[in-house]
Amino acid sequence: MNDRPGDGSEKEPRADGMTVVSYLLGGLAFWGGVGWLADWAFGFTTLFLPIGLILGLVGAIYLIVTQYGRS
Amino acid sequence: MSADVRTTLAAAGEGCQDPHIFNDYGCGFEAPTTSLFFPTPWLEFGLPATSGITKYTALLVLSVLLVAAFWFFTMRRAKVVPGRGQSIAELLITFVRDQMTRPGMGKKGDKYLPMMVAIFLFILVMNVMGIIPGAQLPVTSNLAFPAVLAISMYVLWNYIGIREHGFGGHVKGKLVPSGAPVWILPVLVPIEFISNFVFRPVTHAIRLFATMFAGHMLLAVFAAAGFYLFNPDAGGFLGVLSVGYSGFALLGFLVFTGFELFIMGLQAYVFVLLASFYIGEAIEGAH
Repeated sequence: MNDRPGDGSEKEPRADGMTVVSYLLGGLAFWGGVGWLADWAFGFTTLFLPIGLILGLVGAIYLIVTQYGRS
Repeated sequence: MSADVRTTLAAAGEGCQDPHIFNDYGCGFEAPTTSLFFPTPWLEFGLPATSGITKYTALLVLSVLLVAAFWFFTMRRAKVVPGRGQSIAELLITFVRDQMTRPGMGKKGDKYLPMMVAIFLFILVMNVMGIIPGAQLPVTSNLAFPAVLAISMYVLWNYIGIREHGFGGHVKGKLVPSGAPVWILPVLVPIEFISNFVFRPVTHAIRLFATMFAGHMLLAVFAAAGFYLFNPDAGGFLGVLSVGYSGFALLGFLVFTGFELFIMGLQAYVFVLLASFYIGEAIEGAH
């Protein structure tokens, strides 16, 4: 977590690990869920579910890169 | 043997005259189940969705009294030159400030320090109830207690964010990632929403609950195994072997009791640290 006890005046540490994991899981869960719902509504077996999973994963990775990749 | 282990063994020994290894009845080892976490109520109200007065309630009240008594007796006559009790209390406050609230919130977070110190000590005492002989049930191994604490932190986080930045500013700061083009936002905003508003409070509660639950289960398995494997009446080589097995199980029990103490402190620390991070983020606004 934090390697040094500080007085808060140094760089702002954040709960990065948790956020990264929840981005990945949230992306997969939300867009995968949307894809699954679309499959269920339109009567496909598996068409939109993998598309949604991939979209969610790409979005999550994009978020991680833009939010945390600049440091 | 504590009351906890005895009830475990009573549950395990049903339908078996002599619940030990190498006996003549041929009954196997029955591991403790999740019934450990549903103690028999001492007093039932008969209302739906209530559990009545159980061991959890008693230990919760005891924890509250212990924490209150600690502060009352250490800070009752606070002096500039602290005595022994006051030194301990001030050490605790400084520890929480330097290790948890300052990294998360900076100097602005010092006004939330009293709350954080109280929550830290409260969670720590509730966790440590798991290895106090006689109690031996961590209060936080019941999802209700971490959930209420996490929900209150979540409400506070939203309240502070809305107070500092207005409702629109708070929601926008938490949902719209900075530096992303507009056309990609429909993909990102739901992910941010799930991540920040759903998973965050859920994991905040479950992290504490699951570690306490698993640790208590582990200790119960070791204790029950130590009891089950102990059978010197089997005679000869088998008797010696069973006592050796039992010794290993009880050694594991002792080792993991120490390990649990470490985990209990760590989880209280992590809970307060994450609460500090979240509130610090709410004060800051856009991330």
